[in-house]
Amino acid sequence: MDTAFAKRRRRDLIVAAIFAAIAAIVPLFVKDVYVQNIMVLTLMYAALSQSWNILSGYCGQISLGHALYFGLGAYTTALLFTKFGVLPWFGMLGGGLISAAIAMALGYPCFRLRGHYFVIATIVIAETALLLFQNWDWAGAALGIDIPVRGDSWLKFQFVRSKLPYFYFALALACVAWLVTWWLEDSKWGYWWRAVKDNPDAAESLGVVVFNSKMGAAAVSAFLTAIGGSFYAQFVSYIDPESVMGFQFSLLMALPAVLGGIGTLWGPVLGAVILIPLTELTRSYIGGSGRGVDLIVYGTLIVLISLARPEGLVGLFSPRRKEAAR
Amino acid sequence: MTALLEIPLLETRGIWQRFGGLVANSDVSISVGRGEIVGLIGPNGAGKSTLFNLIAGVYTPTQGSIIFDGEDVTRLSAAERCERGVGRTFQVVKSFETMTVIDNVIVGALIRTTVMREARRKAHEVLEFCGLAARADTLASQLIPSEKRRLEVARALATEPKLLLLDEVLTGLTPIEAQTGVELVRKVRATGVTVLMVEHVMEIVMPLVDRAIVLDLGKVLVEGKPTDVVRDPKVISAYLGDRHAVGA
Amino acid sequence: MTAETIIQSLASGLLMGLLYGLIAVGLALIFGLMDVVNFAHGEFLMIAMYATFFLFAFFAIDPLLAAPLVAAALFVFGAAVYLLIVRFAVRAKANAGMVQIFSTFGLAIVMRGLAQYFFTPDYRSITHSWLGGKTISVGGIFLPVPQLCGALVAIAAFVALYFFINRTDFGRALEATREDAGAVALVGIDKNRVFALGWGLGAALVGLAGAIMAIFFYVYPDVGASFALIAYVTVALGGFGSVFGAFAGGLVVGLVEATTALILPPSLKSVGIYAVYLVVVFIRPRGLFGSM
Repeated sequence: MDTAFAKRRRRDLIVAAIFAAIAAIVPLFVKDVYVQNIMVLTLMYAALSQSWNILSGYCGQISLGHALYFGLGAYTTALLFTKFGVLPWFGMLGGGLISAAIAMALGYPCFRLRGHYFVIATIVIAETALLLFQNWDWAGAALGIDIPVRGDSWLKFQFVRSKLPYFYFALALACVAWLVTWWLEDSKWGYWWRAVKDNPDAAESLGVVVFNSKMGAAAVSAFLTAIGGSFYAQFVSYIDPESVMGFQFSLLMALPAVLGGIGTLWGPVLGAVILIPLTELTRSYIGGSGRGVDLIVYGTLIVLISLARPEGLVGLFSPRRKEAAR
Repeated sequence: MTALLEIPLLETRGIWQRFGGLVANSDVSISVGRGEIVGLIGPNGAGKSTLFNLIAGVYTPTQGSIIFDGEDVTRLSAAERCERGVGRTFQVVKSFETMTVIDNVIVGALIRTTVMREARRKAHEVLEFCGLAARADTLASQLIPSEKRRLEVARALATEPKLLLLDEVLTGLTPIEAQTGVELVRKVRATGVTVLMVEHVMEIVMPLVDRAIVLDLGKVLVEGKPTDVVRDPKVISAYLGDRHAVGA
Repeated sequence: MTAETIIQSLASGLLMGLLYGLIAVGLALIFGLMDVVNFAHGEFLMIAMYATFFLFAFFAIDPLLAAPLVAAALFVFGAAVYLLIVRFAVRAKANAGMVQIFSTFGLAIVMRGLAQYFFTPDYRSITHSWLGGKTISVGGIFLPVPQLCGALVAIAAFVALYFFINRTDFGRALEATREDAGAVALVGIDKNRVFALGWGLGAALVGLAGAIMAIFFYVYPDVGASFALIAYVTVALGGFGSVFGAFAGGLVVGLVEATTALILPPSLKSVGIYAVYLVVVFIRPRGLFGSM
């Protein structure tokens, strides 16, 4: 039995490596900048959703305010770079740590809240942060921050001539998020998170300090999300409160996991691979007259999945795996 | 009647528990010695569940203290008590329905080790012990009720408790299932775990326990050997006689 | 800032607060009934506003007259949403929380998308209505008539709701189902029927609010979003499940919003409400009057 389990874990790792390898060579064949852009975004959302999944999927604390950490990551990097000349690599780390700290600080009051109150609190907190940033002149207020790009530089993590370096970074980020989840799945934290999600009273009786468990999940999730935000800032080189802290981001981080399989290892990846290209393509091909079609498409998908297949699309691929490995 | 040399594993001293105007436990002082199987019985509304939950750490008593293994644990949370060696099952089974049987037990094992291989091995052992090894990979939601009960026990056992609190684990089982349950409790005690069980089904419990404590209306009515307790007129009238809740 | 300005602001705040209460009470009703938060509530408001607008634009029906029609239409819509979507969402065993949140959230997104597609993102407004743009002086305070009317409608609705829940058979069935959905089946009450009617009622109340608000607010696809958040905050403040709480919560939110607007720049006016929400739920995790 041990060996079967270990085999499954190894298989997941091998599959992931293969996917990563394939993904790595795709840009060598696909030169269209527009398509490359979609690929970068898909990878970024895969990473973001995977991070979100840690707190909201495994630990069951559904957050619809994760844009807060995304925005904090973006702003930390952008501000440190434009105001103090700190390299984005350090800014990224800083953003991650700040986000983790804030997630834990917010956890103190928030994790006492039940279900719906908690979700609404996350929305409210993110909105408040957005409003505050919109009025914070030093951080650019509503106009945001423009990150000056002066040519290719790994040091400054900015590239003009090609999107490829961004692509590979996004791929690396997605791989890291996946690996962290893979590792945590078979760890004390992972087991305890699932216990907390399933039945907190029973978990307590088995020695799980529910509160600490949630804090851990929140910190890890926030850290990774912030790194994604930092990446985004460098990728688009212009950020403002609406674009990095808006509610639509919080939603877009959650949807791939919901679609693919909340609380599963592959769910967010699968969801991102389906959802992001779909929304980007519907948005551009249906054109101006078709505004809102992307919303209709993914809104419908979410409703259908929630009602017909709440365990997500990942269940289609290996029902046995879904049953045993969780 | 306890030996003077042995400090009891569990002691409750002057426990009072009030919920608003309702007094659920009044001045309850009991003790459980190491290696005993003690039965906590009494008619409905006697305060057994409340006392049970107080010992498990679900509530903090309004008054009084709880001493476990020489330490005052009155202010400790349920999780902290588990860490100290108090394990419990729930009357209404609370299995982790979305997880497999073995994963359920691993959750318990993880309080004693962070090495996953260790935890898994331990979980296997416990499942064997409880007769659930064949169901290891089944989702907890798919077990039959008696198996779920055993899972409750297995999970708690994985935390390596010194004291195992069983909340009506034998209620509502078929005679055969109940017998298996009784054997399991005996096996548990044989490994050195002390057992305190709340029960309703007298015929099954009385042959099993070393000592019985009868609660009625929140107070300790009588305690002693099961054979003595069942014949005590106070106990008989408590179960059969006219009882109105007296309140505070 | 004079005392007059302050009183003026607070008075407006109170009026808006009553309207917020009207929007929120439907949400509270639904939640109290079946423990489900309707995350598409803002979009219910949005279509009510659009319906009012189109009745005006195509048939020259004044919003005041349109209100009962819109309420009726929303009633049907709400019941339909329950029967077609929510009924299945509550059956979920795994990931129950996620299903309940995202099923109505998904609906909200679809509705917003449909509105954008069919109505375009353009802002619409009702230009000539009976009440629009008029103000009335009450004891030296100038109150905008549409908001005043909205507040009166809200009060009337609350009173009617109170009598409905406590004095009619259906109202009592609603309460009974709320307490124990399983038991009511035993006395012959069809749980689904009760829930559908509950959703319909909740939606109708929002419809009423939307019709009035269309008089003085711009109508556009995303209009529901901002009011939705205010509605959730209102209900959570008052305590999910409490109809009276929604009323009280609405007043609190209206007043807080008005007060914040006096102190902080207008773009930050919502911060006051959010802060109050957070403080209240941290201190009283069940809201001010919460029952669950």
